Amino acid sequence: MAAKDSPLKQFEIDPISNIELGGYNISFTNSSFAMLITVLVITLFLTLTVNTRSIIPSRMQLISELMYNFIAQLLSDTVGDNGKRYFPFVFSLFMFVLIGNMVGMIPYQFTFTSHIIVTFALAAVVFIGVTILGFINHGIKFFTFFYIPGVPFYMHPLLIPIEVISYLSRPISLSVRLFANMLAGHTLLKVFAGFVVSMPFFTGVFPLAFIVALTGLEILIAFLQAYVFAILTCLYINDAYHLH
Amino acid sequence: MPQLNPEFFVSQLFWLAVFFTFLFVFLWRVSLPRIATVLEKRQNKIDENLSSAKELQEQAMEIEKKINDQINKAKVETDEKIKETINALQEDVSSQLSSLDKDLEKKVSDAEKEILKSKDDQMKNINNEIANITKLTVGKITDIEMSDNEINKVIEIHKGSFN
Repeated sequence: MAAKDSPLKQFEIDPISNIELGGYNISFTNSSFAMLITVLVITLFLTLTVNTRSIIPSRMQLISELMYNFIAQLLSDTVGDNGKRYFPFVFSLFMFVLIGNMVGMIPYQFTFTSHIIVTFALAAVVFIGVTILGFINHGIKFFTFFYIPGVPFYMHPLLIPIEVISYLSRPISLSVRLFANMLAGHTLLKVFAGFVVSMPFFTGVFPLAFIVALTGLEILIAFLQAYVFAILTCLYINDAYHLH
Repeated sequence: MPQLNPEFFVSQLFWLAVFFTFLFVFLWRVSLPRIATVLEKRQNKIDENLSSAKELQEQAMEIEKKINDQINKAKVETDEKIKETINALQEDVSSQLSSLDKDLEKKVSDAEKEILKSKDDQMKNINNEIANITKLTVGKITDIEMSDNEINKVIEIHKGSFN
């Protein structure tokens, strides 16, 4: 447990209600609460704004449609026509990470994307899904994914292990990228927030101004990381269809 | 670092699975089809409007073509009528001219005939006068009594010299 004023204290998980199932602790925590808020925001927003189903959209409906088109475009650009059936999954993933990041930007609100176990679980779902998809599409030939054509034969003993390692590290890089960005951003904000309090007289205004600027940057990163997560998922799906 | 504390790993994974699955199924079955319907409806509407606009344009072009055809037809008709009128007028003029020519010719020939007749008459008179004068002169100069026939014969012989 970190000290009371540690910048890492914000990442601590507090159970709201203790639940146990089959000997496992599945307490509903502040992290679960943030997930609940995230899911509620997404489902309510996407449902209520499109409720009227008007041909000429209201501003709110337009936001939903823009998000829809944004991910649809992303998927068709990277995967093509094959990607349509994965649209609901990629869209859910993008929205979950994006709104999860955004909910985390609310002061005193927990950021579940700053937990490696959460991001790793999401990345693992993508990784396992894509690997299964690759074997469904190509069967045993999927292993030729690690074989790079057009390279001198004596390079293969070196390149194939590299390819295998890079493939296996995909879920790690995918999850650590998101986790580290969120962790670093929120820690930085907390550190500067500490400066605001600890600095003498009115000099605390300067770190405060810095926090305001950093908050803008963090919102940008929140979007950017959700986008990166979605686009990498699209690229991995594409790899499952098109080998080298 | 609280992230590496495995105490709540199972709880995190459990609630993540619950909420993400709910989110995925809800978006897949409810929200996304709704948005897709709206987008499709809009696209259909746009397509419909575009196609009807195209149809209207085609109709407009057809009407324009009809108007042009009618204008051309009218032009041809007017040209024909003008030609007809000109031809009729020309025929009229030429027939009138020819009838005038005929009249004139007739008048000229009449006049010529009259002139000839009067010339003949005059010649006859002159001949008679000549015959009389000759008779008288011959009678006065000589005692020869010449019959009219004889005088006329002589005159006939010498006619060429006093014409």
